[in-house]
Amino acid sequence: MVARWILLALLPIVAGVALLQTRRLSAIIGMGLFSLVLAAVYLLMHAPDVAITEATIGAALVTAIYVLAIRRTGRLTVVADEAPGLIAREGDEIVGLEYEILDGFARQVGLDLSIQFVPLRRVRWLVSHQEADFGAGGMIPCADDDETLTSTPAHLETGVFTFPAASAAREHSAPRELPDYEGYYADLLEHDKDGTIAATAKALDLARVMSLGRVGAALEGLDRLDGTFGYAFLVSKRRTSLQRDFAAYLRQLRDSGRLNELIQRHFT
Amino acid sequence: MRKDRIRIIAAIGIVLVFAGLVSVMHLGSAPDPSASTRFLARDLEETGASNRVAGVYLNYRLFDTLLEVLVFSVAVLGVRHYLQQSEGMELPDLSESEVVRTAVIFLTPLALLLCAFFAILGHISPGGGFAGGVIAASGLLYVAIAYGMRAMEKRLNPARLVRVEEAILLALLAFVLLPMVFGRTPLSDLMPKGTPGQLLSGGSILVYNILIALKVLVGAWAVIAAFAQHRGEL
Repeated sequence: MVARWILLALLPIVAGVALLQTRRLSAIIGMGLFSLVLAAVYLLMHAPDVAITEATIGAALVTAIYVLAIRRTGRLTVVADEAPGLIAREGDEIVGLEYEILDGFARQVGLDLSIQFVPLRRVRWLVSHQEADFGAGGMIPCADDDETLTSTPAHLETGVFTFPAASAAREHSAPRELPDYEGYYADLLEHDKDGTIAATAKALDLARVMSLGRVGAALEGLDRLDGTFGYAFLVSKRRTSLQRDFAAYLRQLRDSGRLNELIQRHFT
Repeated sequence: MRKDRIRIIAAIGIVLVFAGLVSVMHLGSAPDPSASTRFLARDLEETGASNRVAGVYLNYRLFDTLLEVLVFSVAVLGVRHYLQQSEGMELPDLSESEVVRTAVIFLTPLALLLCAFFAILGHISPGGGFAGGVIAASGLLYVAIAYGMRAMEKRLNPARLVRVEEAILLALLAFVLLPMVFGRTPLSDLMPKGTPGQLLSGGSILVYNILIALKVLVGAWAVIAAFAQHRGEL
C-alpha cells in the first residue's frame, strides 16, 4: 500500500523530469522510466496483464521507436577537414576553436554533436546533400558558392595566401605521422614531402599555413591576397532554421565576449 | 514570449480538463458489484482459463477483441497506403557501436522467447498474444537499431510480410466463424475446456493468443519497415 503511494507520487516527478530535459535522448529515457514506474503501479494494483502491456509498449517499443527517430534529428552532424587550431584531432580527442563553438551550439539546442573528418570536397558534397548539418575545418565562404550551399556568419578573421605558379623542390620537411584519413590537410602534408604543395593547392588559409610552417614545411613565396576573409561553417541553403539558430548563438557568443575569449585561448 | 504564455495556459487548461474528467468518472461511476463476483465465480468453469483476464477478453468479450485486431490491421493498412504515395528513399545504413550490437545479441533471443512464453501461456499466466507480439517486434527493432535497417530488409522482406499478416487475419476470422459450420453461433468456443492450469486448457484462447501474437509481430514490423523505407528514417 505504501509502495503504491510512493510510486504514484513518483509518477508526476518522473514526468516533470522528463519534460525538463534539454537533451532529447534523456527526455526519451525519462518517458521510458515513467512507463516503467506506471507498470510497477499496475503490478501493485494486482493487474499484471496491464503491467506487462504498459512495460512492453511504453517502456520498450515506444522508447525504441523514439530512439530510432532521433538518430538523425537528435544529432548535430558535422563533417570537417582537419585544420589545426580550428578543428583537429589530438590523440582521442577533438580540439580547436570551431569544435568548441559547435559543441556549445549543440548543447544549447539539445543535440548530440557528432564529428566526422572527411576530405574537403566530401565536406561540400555531404553538406549540400544534407547528409550533414555543418561543414567545418577552416571553410572560407566564396562568392561563387553553388546554389545549394551557403555559410554561417564568420567567426574568425583570416587571410588567404597564394602560391607561386611553379614550385621548386624544397628541403624535406620534418617527419610527421599522417592522419589516417585522406583529407585536404593530410594531402598537403603528404605532398609537402616531395615539395609539390603548389601542385595540390593554389591557395591556402592562414590556419593551415601556420600549422604547415610548424611541422617544418618550407613555404616560400607566399602572397597574401587582398581583401578580408573569415572562417565560417558551410550549411545547406534549405536549412533556414538551423542558419537562424546558429547565427543567434554566434551573436550571443560574440556579445558576451566569450568568442574573443575562445579565440585568445586558441590563437596566442 | 506571448506564444509561451499561450502554451502555458493551454497546458494548464488541458490538465484541468483532464482532472475534471477523471473526477467526474470517479464520482459518477457506479459499477455493478455483483457482475464481477458473478464473472469470478463462473468464468473458470465456463472458459477453462486460469488467467481470468484472458478468459474475459478472449471468450466473453471476444467480439471486442476481434474488433481491436481489426483496428490494428486498419492502422497497418493506413500507414502502408499513405507511405506508398511518397516515393521510396535510400535506406539509411546507420549502425551502432559494438556495445549495442553485443547487447542486442542477448536481448533479441530473450524477447522472442518472452513472446512465445506470453503467447503460449497467456491463458494460464499474465501476458497474452498482444504483449507477446509487441515484445518480439521490439526485439526486431533492437536488431534494426544495432545493425541498420538495410541489413534487416534483406532477411525480412516487408512486402511479403504484409501478405503473411493478411493471411493471419483471415485465419483468425475463419476460426471465429468456424462454429457456424457446425450449426453453432459464431464466436462460440469449439475446443474442449480442459483442466484449468494445464497447457491444453481454456478452449480456443491458446489459438487466439498465438494468432494475435503473430499478427501483432508481423504488423508492427511492417509498419516500422514502411517508415524506414519511405522516409529514409523512422
